[in-house]
Amino acid sequence: MKKVLAIILAGMVTATAFAGCGGSGGGSTASGSESAASGSESKADGGATIDANWPDASMFGDETDIDLKVWAPDAAVELVKKQVEEFKKHYSEVKFKNIEVRAQGESDAATNMIKDPEKGADVFGFPSDQLDKLLAAQVLSPVAKGFVSTIEANNAEKPVVAAKEGDSLYAYPETNDNGYYLVYDNTVVTADDAKTFEGVLEACKKAGKQFVMDAGNGFYSCTFAFTGGALIDGFEADGATQKFVDYNEDTVVKTLMAFAKLMKTYKGTFTSQDVANISAGFKNGKVAAGVDGTWDSNGNKDALGDKFGAAKLPTIKVGNEDKQLISLFGYKYIGVNARTKFQRSAQILAYYLTGQDCQTQRAETLGWGPSNTKAMEAVSSDPIIQAVSAQSQNAVPQVKIAGTFWTSMGTLGSEMYKDGWNPDDEAATKSLWEKVVAQIRDE
Amino acid sequence: MIKSYKLRRHISNALIYLILGVMCIIWIAPFVYLLLHSLRADGAAVSNGELLPEWYTFQNYIDLFSGTGSSTLNFPKWFLNTFIVACFSCVISTISVLAVSYSFSRLRFGMRKKLMNIAMILGMFPGFMTMIAMYYLLKIMGLDGNLIALVLCYSCGAGLGFQISKGFFDTIPRALDEAATIDGATKNQIFWKIILPMSKPIVVYTVLTAFIGPWTDFILAKIIMGDIQENYTVAIGLQLMIDLDHKTTWFQEFLAGSVVVAVPITLLFLKMQKYYVGGVTAGGVKG
Repeated sequence: MKKVLAIILAGMVTATAFAGCGGSGGGSTASGSESAASGSESKADGGATIDANWPDASMFGDETDIDLKVWAPDAAVELVKKQVEEFKKHYSEVKFKNIEVRAQGESDAATNMIKDPEKGADVFGFPSDQLDKLLAAQVLSPVAKGFVSTIEANNAEKPVVAAKEGDSLYAYPETNDNGYYLVYDNTVVTADDAKTFEGVLEACKKAGKQFVMDAGNGFYSCTFAFTGGALIDGFEADGATQKFVDYNEDTVVKTLMAFAKLMKTYKGTFTSQDVANISAGFKNGKVAAGVDGTWDSNGNKDALGDKFGAAKLPTIKVGNEDKQLISLFGYKYIGVNARTKFQRSAQILAYYLTGQDCQTQRAETLGWGPSNTKAMEAVSSDPIIQAVSAQSQNAVPQVKIAGTFWTSMGTLGSEMYKDGWNPDDEAATKSLWEKVVAQIRDE
Repeated sequence: MIKSYKLRRHISNALIYLILGVMCIIWIAPFVYLLLHSLRADGAAVSNGELLPEWYTFQNYIDLFSGTGSSTLNFPKWFLNTFIVACFSCVISTISVLAVSYSFSRLRFGMRKKLMNIAMILGMFPGFMTMIAMYYLLKIMGLDGNLIALVLCYSCGAGLGFQISKGFFDTIPRALDEAATIDGATKNQIFWKIILPMSKPIVVYTVLTAFIGPWTDFILAKIIMGDIQENYTVAIGLQLMIDLDHKTTWFQEFLAGSVVVAVPITLLFLKMQKYYVGGVTAGGVKG
């Protein structure tokens, strides 16, 4: 029996050794490509021309037979394919073997990247809250130094700052819109109603229609806490515990009570449902307003047609004060895989895909709000982009968020929404809030 | 205390039926919900809180197979992939399970006991422990993202699951083997001509479990396939339909797809069902 075990163990050891081989092989290519990247940097510093879309072809260096894989969300695949064709046409003197565009939902881009960076895309899109994870796993290649100043000059400040770690910029800003706002049926809710939470709910109630907000989902329900002033501010020194700004607990509790009060008063009108139900509800006429994100903009627009209305989140009356709802707001980035064999080409492609033209095209066809300031000007008349950009002034950036944040904030919302919750019970609200904070900070 | 025996029996029966009825409803409700809502016609909402749909349509099934509006969701292809993998792994693993069981049941060889123990011990480790290792091994062989990899993974370890059919073979009297040996049959002939025809129920059981595997496995298939969406199986494909990118537009098709997945399994079962009744009672040693 012992012998057999020994044989099995030996087998296992060899197997792991093989797996190790695969990993170390990848490691060596990564270090090789890093040196290539630094090569391109020096060249860029040496005066190669870079405009808002196209870096100079000389920046490809000696890379040839270029074979890249791009990850884009399903809805964007068609457009990105077209943009990649443009890219190949523009650099006709460079030899491309293949640039493949594959659908990969952005929500789990980081997970799939980290699982096996060698098989991941060379150029991929991801939302800002995955940045820490990607940095920790060291799968992101820093933006070539020659591009940094142009990117800083051409893009909104916040997304660029959020992607910086020390002196290096780690990702190309792609959008400045990853957040939620108020959508409504403008035959039910007027633009004036849409200014206050009470107004929106009252209008919906009068029409016998629902207002949808996913109160049990931490992504949306953190609004309740943020509005009360309990904003988050990155991590504590340990790099894992969520840090809050100094807030007045009394104000937070009062604000939470105001929200719970509205939920109670407008029971049946205020419904906590998956946001996916908003567009369907617009279609069948059951829903008149909701808090939904930019990713559903096209669906909601199609469902409502001329009746579509969009605005920043409303205000809520706390005591005598109208408080603006504060949301979570993120950006989308395009990153370059640290293990890609064609480091320069991947950097140039990422730069181009986040350039002014590509951002404008995505804004026009997909409704993605650009981070590029010139692209933003081009589409600034769009009501959604206006709403989103107004909301972004009242938002907390979705970066450096602890894993415990989401479910704990979700609990806060779902407790307040529960039938048995008493919105006037200050002590209960206070203890709920303290429990939620303790959970988030893992105390 | 109730005196009448009849009344007591009625009451206890009523209670038992009530409990069984409730359990039955709880068990069957998801299936009914799935079926009804796969026919729902009111747009693309995830559950809108209604128990019964207001309108019914077949459109979801049509959309599922025509696959409009997405560059990647291709249910017919996924269905075909799964069917191919299921067929191959079904044949290979059935043969290997039965052969291993027969060897352990009838043959006597040096390492027999030890091998059986090793198989038991290996079987006790949770399967996902080795998945990452499997992925890297397959990557070394250049098989990741490939349907062949799935067939390999599903069928090659199947022999370890010999216990049930070995137990079944053990119940077939050895006198039959001995009689056949006297008549000049080899071990191989005994397996194919004597033991197998008498073991139809266990063969059917093995075929069914081997066939169902690829339709239900998610984790391993997901790890192996990565982003190669054209090689997805239905399990990963259906999950893709309800991720954040697709949920708003594909939820109804997801429900329809879940119903469609049940079809091949059900057909195979109906086809093989009659053999369940046959089996050992049909043969055996007389007198």
